[in-house]
Amino acid sequence: MSILACCVATKLSIPRSTLELLSAARSLSQQLGQISVQALLIGFEVKEHASNLIRYGADEVLLAEHPRLEHPEDEVVLGLVEEVVRRFTPKVVLFPHDELSGGHVAPRLAHRIKAGIVTDCTGFEVKDGDIRWLRPVYGGKAMAFFRAKGAVQIATIRSRAFEPLPEEPFRKGEVRELDIAIEAFVPSAAIVERVETIEAEKGPSLDRAEIIVGGGRGMGSAEGFKVLYELAELLKAAVGGSRPAADMGWVPHSRLIGQTGKIVAPKLYIAVGISGASQHMVGASSSKTIVAINKDPDAPIFKLAHIGVVGEWEKIIPPLIQILKETI
Amino acid sequence: MHIVVCIKQIIDPEVPFHLFRIDPVTKTQMRGSHPLVISSYDEVALEVAIQAKEKFGGQVTVVTLGSNEALQALHQALAMGADTAVLLCDPMFEHVDSFGKARILAAALRKIGDFDLVLCGRQAGDIEMGLVGPFLAEELGIPCVTLVANVIAAEGGKIHLKRPIETGYEVIQAPLPCLATITNDESNVPRYASVKRLRAAMRAPIPKWSAIDLGLEPAIIGEARIQIEEMWVPKREIHCEFISGESPEEKARNLALRLKELKLI
Repeated sequence: MSILACCVATKLSIPRSTLELLSAARSLSQQLGQISVQALLIGFEVKEHASNLIRYGADEVLLAEHPRLEHPEDEVVLGLVEEVVRRFTPKVVLFPHDELSGGHVAPRLAHRIKAGIVTDCTGFEVKDGDIRWLRPVYGGKAMAFFRAKGAVQIATIRSRAFEPLPEEPFRKGEVRELDIAIEAFVPSAAIVERVETIEAEKGPSLDRAEIIVGGGRGMGSAEGFKVLYELAELLKAAVGGSRPAADMGWVPHSRLIGQTGKIVAPKLYIAVGISGASQHMVGASSSKTIVAINKDPDAPIFKLAHIGVVGEWEKIIPPLIQILKETI
Repeated sequence: MHIVVCIKQIIDPEVPFHLFRIDPVTKTQMRGSHPLVISSYDEVALEVAIQAKEKFGGQVTVVTLGSNEALQALHQALAMGADTAVLLCDPMFEHVDSFGKARILAAALRKIGDFDLVLCGRQAGDIEMGLVGPFLAEELGIPCVTLVANVIAAEGGKIHLKRPIETGYEVIQAPLPCLATITNDESNVPRYASVKRLRAAMRAPIPKWSAIDLGLEPAIIGEARIQIEEMWVPKREIHCEFISGESPEEKARNLALRLKELKLI
């Protein structure tokens, strides 16, 4: 019996979500009474990461390496994980809640192996030997504990919900290379083309940025967003937008923050011209500090922000940029 | 091409925090007098289906699982441009989990029969698990492509789907029939249903299929494997500190100072 944490890595790096997943797995293992944590490492030329996974909390690494796993198709990962679960019969299977695993692999796996499943979890507790999975519902307006019934339980873990454990340089564990015929998994849907439409953005991505500047309907135009990009560049921040801003094309949809976009959790979120509709705030409310700049003193955002500035952004952001230029 | 879109009617997610209540017995949101809407990604899925019909021909059928109140969502879907609608309604369908819902929807799709493409929103706007779409593909034994934003091409029993990624998009080819879960991008902002079209849609006959019509029994639907144990509204006690200043410039300066003091910048 084990907890299986499924990680997809590239030759260059292990994603932060993997370390967070191992942290979640360790915590669950402790609460369940020290059952072992197996990490399934999926990728091509990723073997050297295995020892890292052990130092960050895995007791054993199951290594699945294959050229086809460099940019793996959803269905190939699904086939692989299904096979691993059948061989190793874990009690719990954890995935990061990302496009590949949360959106595709975990649900289909649950259906195939008749497991219980809870997606996008931010925590859990063990009560009388049963796991209660914690997650936000109704766009973050409420929280709920879920039970997943089945011989196997599957959960996907929301990014940033767990902090990676500190590295333990002398932690020991086994690495086992899996002998699974990856070629046998033939995806019915295939990627036939990749089209790059968005230039590689300068500065950090929404997922990694320590500071995010977000704009909403109040920005009025794509032109308005240029000022936010200027502010973001100064602060080494990423730019995001609310649903109206994205729908009107002022920011690309890949930068949409909210219930229908990205969930972010930066150290500082500066919300400009954003009223604070729950659709958006769901995506931003995990930020450590929220600064709101809005001309309407009654805007709901001021009930959710830590620091508020009442005023027109047109008159506040340009001098702010000037002041920061002088002092940074 | 016959496209079937599965939609869910939910309580308007824009209900503000202070009016949001949980019913401690059912462990769901209290209905109150809040409006009902089509779940956001499902509305996007409808838009994708209607656009595909406009580009490649065919028809759009919309299906929902719910009570008579859900007819309103189907009327809206017809007014947006769907051709036919079906309501799946039976006391047996209440309180089923995502596994059960997928099984009921699969029975309805088999009854519809000649579908080519099934579209589901990537996740519902209330509980947001994102399970029913992939489960339904498994139930039907058809390929599943997730997080798709549009249909690019459809011919010769194959379909090309656009899936947004960080730097642009991928084109995914899948054989028909298949299922796609739909996410939003700039190409699929849902159209409004005009009042005139809504009025016309209200007159359209909408068949209701019960468990008997679908040949379903509780044993087939199965027991719930996903259960909500407890639900509560977390306390929010954020005190907003307002930055003062005689002029916008002074406010900007004070904001910069405060952020530096807090070591946030």
